[in-house]
Amino acid sequence: MNLSYRIYYVFFRNLMSYKRFIVPTFIASLVQPLFYLITFGIGMGSYVGLFGGKPYLNFLVPGVLVSAVSLSSSFECLYGTFVKMVHEKLYDSLIATPVSAEDAVAGDIAWAVFRGIVSGTLMMTVAMFMGVFPVSLVSVLLLILLMVFVGILFGSLAMIVTSIAPNFDFFSYYTELILTPMLFFSGVFFPLDKFPPWMKTFAKFLPLTPAVAISRAVFSGVYSRGLIFDFLFIFMLEAAAFYTGVKLMKKRLIK
Amino acid sequence: MQTIIVAEGLTKKYGKFTAVDRISFGIREGECFGFLGPNGAGKTSTVRMIHCVSPVSSGTLVVNGMAAHIDNRLIKKTTGVIPQEINLDNDLTVHENLMVFARFFDIPGGEAKVRIAELLKFVELEAKQNSKIDQLSTGMKRRLLIARALINRPKLIIADEPTTGLDPQARHLIWQRLRQLKNEGVTLILTTQYMEEAQQLCDRIVIMYQGKILKEGIPSRLIEDEIGREVAEIRISSDQDERLIAELSGTTCGHERVGDTLFFYSRDGQNMRHKLNELDLPNAMHRPASLEDVFLKLTGRSLIE
Repeated sequence: MNLSYRIYYVFFRNLMSYKRFIVPTFIASLVQPLFYLITFGIGMGSYVGLFGGKPYLNFLVPGVLVSAVSLSSSFECLYGTFVKMVHEKLYDSLIATPVSAEDAVAGDIAWAVFRGIVSGTLMMTVAMFMGVFPVSLVSVLLLILLMVFVGILFGSLAMIVTSIAPNFDFFSYYTELILTPMLFFSGVFFPLDKFPPWMKTFAKFLPLTPAVAISRAVFSGVYSRGLIFDFLFIFMLEAAAFYTGVKLMKKRLIK
Repeated sequence: MQTIIVAEGLTKKYGKFTAVDRISFGIREGECFGFLGPNGAGKTSTVRMIHCVSPVSSGTLVVNGMAAHIDNRLIKKTTGVIPQEINLDNDLTVHENLMVFARFFDIPGGEAKVRIAELLKFVELEAKQNSKIDQLSTGMKRRLLIARALINRPKLIIADEPTTGLDPQARHLIWQRLRQLKNEGVTLILTTQYMEEAQQLCDRIVIMYQGKILKEGIPSRLIEDEIGREVAEIRISSDQDERLIAELSGTTCGHERVGDTLFFYSRDGQNMRHKLNELDLPNAMHRPASLEDVFLKLTGRSLIE
């Protein structure tokens, strides 16, 4: 791993280009989760009634928040990185400078984290307007910290997919067959305790499940000991994904 | 002059395909060194190893006393690369493209602004500094690539087919700029398939073909040694070959039949010219020998695919 502070330069390049796309990306990263909140939260919430003593929307928000982060950072490292690598040949010009291939890839993951935080924060603001607040200011800060971890995790996983993607269409396998279904297995919309045991076990090993659990706990300020394992799972998975993603991308970039 | 790049037995393999096959060469400080060859000869693979974006498969390659290696940031720091493919950042303006690149080389903002202003002037793009890349012509894009390659004030510049797809005006402007850089003491490595470009710019060249170096030398001397001074091209059916070869013998140093044309090479042009005038053939022309003749003689005149 030949990483250096130059990761920041790659991030800076993305920030420079971002100013032209800021409005469309704000809208894009808001709309889908907003749909979930409105349709499920208000539509279904009125049937479900109270959920653990609180309106259904309060159950929904923490899950939708992390899924918004996970989707934003995934898309950035799928489509964003692919365009820069294959169509624009930006990586080729980058690695001819003192910026290493690892710096370039890590810089894009860092950028994906930033995009994730932007989406998550927008989501949190919308939720506040709908009357759902994290329990304290500390919770808000912890949620942002969580977004960083979720962003690195999903950005890195997406990098692995990008490193082997022959073309754009390849990404639909990942988004349609893995990312979207994962939303329904990770406790975003309903608790997992009614799942049969095998499904519960399966859900437990999905990367989004522990993130949803932590988000929900941080939102309400009610922590349990199991969260430590959730966090460790995320941490180890993302370390492995980051390492693999960067290595595979380097292999693709350097011939 | 000091030799700053030394390759010995340099080889590049992509899987089973050998792109560069055990070549050796030395490049001296301050010279313009050209790699000539048809498509797929291994020129780009060779220079990519020199500027450390492609790993060496075997052999040794030393640049400025350091082993070339993909993680060698020091070599990259002092090298400027004008790539074959236009890989400018389409999301950014002309000025921003250079600004971002300055960051990659750790050049602080204030210093970067000064250099960018100088460079935009050097490549005559001051008026375009706030344009987006897709508003530039191909010639302007190529000039911007030169400016970008100079942002770190490199001691070594690698120009990989820098004038591909340009009109004559744009091409001459780029040649001027490259010569200017060489006069300022920069070492220049050029790859090209345009013989005129090599003759215009290079002090020394190697001719590459199928991953190997066929010949190395000073362009004018290579022409003299391989071809002579002048070439006569006679478009005539091949049943006349024997007669003409006999007629012109003694005035030429070689001949070759390619398709509809019979070529004669001569070290001393005068006698051959004289003889040709006497023969008064309808479809004959004579001209000075060029690097193109050397190139075609060495790599064969048939189409290479």
